Amino acid sequence: MRVIVSHRAFLIVLFAALAVLPVVANQYTLFVGNLMMLYIILALGLNLLVGFAGQLAFANAAMYGIGAYGAALLQVRLGWSYWIAAPCGAVLAMAIGTLLAFPALRLSGIYLALATLAFAQFTQWVLLHWNSVTLGAGGFPVPQPEFSALGMSPDRGIYYVSWIVTVVLLAFAWRVVRSRVGRAFVAMRDREMAAQALGVDLLRYKAMAFALSGFYAGTAGALYPAVLAYVSPEGFDLFQMVLHKAMIVVGGMGSIAGSVIGASLLVYLLEVLRQFKATQEIAFGALLLTFVLFQPRGLVEFLKRYAPGWAEPLHYAADRESLSDITAAEELVAGSRGGAGR
Amino acid sequence: MLMLSYLLATGVTSGALYALVALGIVVVYKATEVVNLAHGELFMMGGFLAYTLHVMVKLPYVPSVLLAVAGSFAIGVLTDRVAYRPLMKEGLVSVLLATIGISFILKGMARVLWGGKGDYLAFPPLVSPEPIRVGNVMIMSQQLVVLLAALAVMLVFAAFFKTTRAGKFMQATASNPRAAALVGIHVSRVYMYTFGVGAAVAGASAVLMAPLTLLYPDIGFALFIKGFAAAVLGGLTSVPGAIIGGLLVGVLEQLAAGFIGTTIQDVSAFIVIMFALIFLPTGILGVRGTRKI
Repeated sequence: MRVIVSHRAFLIVLFAALAVLPVVANQYTLFVGNLMMLYIILALGLNLLVGFAGQLAFANAAMYGIGAYGAALLQVRLGWSYWIAAPCGAVLAMAIGTLLAFPALRLSGIYLALATLAFAQFTQWVLLHWNSVTLGAGGFPVPQPEFSALGMSPDRGIYYVSWIVTVVLLAFAWRVVRSRVGRAFVAMRDREMAAQALGVDLLRYKAMAFALSGFYAGTAGALYPAVLAYVSPEGFDLFQMVLHKAMIVVGGMGSIAGSVIGASLLVYLLEVLRQFKATQEIAFGALLLTFVLFQPRGLVEFLKRYAPGWAEPLHYAADRESLSDITAAEELVAGSRGGAGR
Repeated sequence: MLMLSYLLATGVTSGALYALVALGIVVVYKATEVVNLAHGELFMMGGFLAYTLHVMVKLPYVPSVLLAVAGSFAIGVLTDRVAYRPLMKEGLVSVLLATIGISFILKGMARVLWGGKGDYLAFPPLVSPEPIRVGNVMIMSQQLVVLLAALAVMLVFAAFFKTTRAGKFMQATASNPRAAALVGIHVSRVYMYTFGVGAAVAGASAVLMAPLTLLYPDIGFALFIKGFAAAVLGGLTSVPGAIIGGLLVGVLEQLAAGFIGTTIQDVSAFIVIMFALIFLPTGILGVRGTRKI
């Protein structure tokens, strides 16, 4: 049976459900819902950079950590209010993300991937070893912002803040990909040189993609200390890298709705497996591998096929640049060997 | 002066191991234009296999090393079968994502099989831990063994490429896959062996490294990044470059650790990668790349 589900209706229902969740949920469910929104923001940002703009970067977890530490340290060290510290954390992550884009403008493919991977490791090192500023490996508690003026507990209050931020960033991402900028991203991803020939300023749009993605990750990071009341380097380690990547691949690269789906489902799985680090690694590694192999365009493509109302334009390349053209040559040889028979 | 010579000796030893890791990365990259992001985990698995055979099953040293290297070769071949061969037509992004998936699966499996986070397994040294004097320098005898063994691995590796048929097939494929296919080389099989050989070198270096460091499931990534730094410094496509790069990274990080602070050692790789990519993008011995359209 074919179900009619429009991607818009799906997102509206999901966020309406998230909006009423605090009324019915206990504290733990509320926490999971909040975590889900954080990861939706992260997945959106990463998808803009990797899925749309085609820059294979691995520094998302680092930006997430910079946003979180920025917001937390400004509160703890300088006594700033959360409402000032949080935007500063997000902007700091965006600034560093943009700076990271400058070597990226000269690098591509494998070099970019590995340079950003090394940057992620460097950030982790700074969080662990710059004791005098980051308080080292143990992390530190952060006071949650007060919502008593609104008659709400801090958990519930920050939940609604996350909800509003997530909806705004979702709508913004939606607008971005349908704008001139989004089209430039897709053109750049599909073929840089062709995009350049069409007047896409690569330097500008790459920097923009890194800045956007850094801002999203930084915003998710800035919400983190308010949600967990604690930050430690472990929250931003390499495992986050496979987690974020698995989210956008499972949901669908180059799809806004896909980022939301992937993040929501995987956060749930993450919570189910919370006790078992090794199982988490195996599960998320296997999910990533399985989807890349068998459903490379994610669950969204599946929905698009079987749910006729699902009309999100999917921005994937019609044919991708293959790594090697030897298969064609091999087939040619095989054909000439067995040619007599045919 | 004594400290300097000590740092240099340690640096050259760890540098030789980074060179071996870099060698595996370069061989695979030359042939396939892909860096196997699970390379560090292949290294880690090689070390744990040797540990299992030598310490747990109590096999003698040499057979356990050979079996561990064979095991790494098999995992490398598997990586090709699972991640590279089906995806090479899909492009770099897919292959890289698939190898990340594999690296986390291997890491998780190691955690399940050989203990949780923070479990460091000690690998017994091959020789007595007594330091020996060479001229004015004190060297740990294990370091000397490692250095010689690393040299031996490099020589075997060079001989393999120069003299054997399989090695020549690999060279031909790396230099021009289409032409290689046209003269009848089974190119995708060569890719498979290339991944296997890269992994086998990683396995061999893991066995050499294990007594000096300790074994733990997270060891792979740190080494992979250092190996990659060495490979990039050497030009990513040059085997002698990888060896020079490895030695440079090893010595530089020891000097930084000795004169700046030991914690800096962990980020030396990042600094080297960034430096190399920005100021020396073709590496020491790399070939200037042309832009593909």
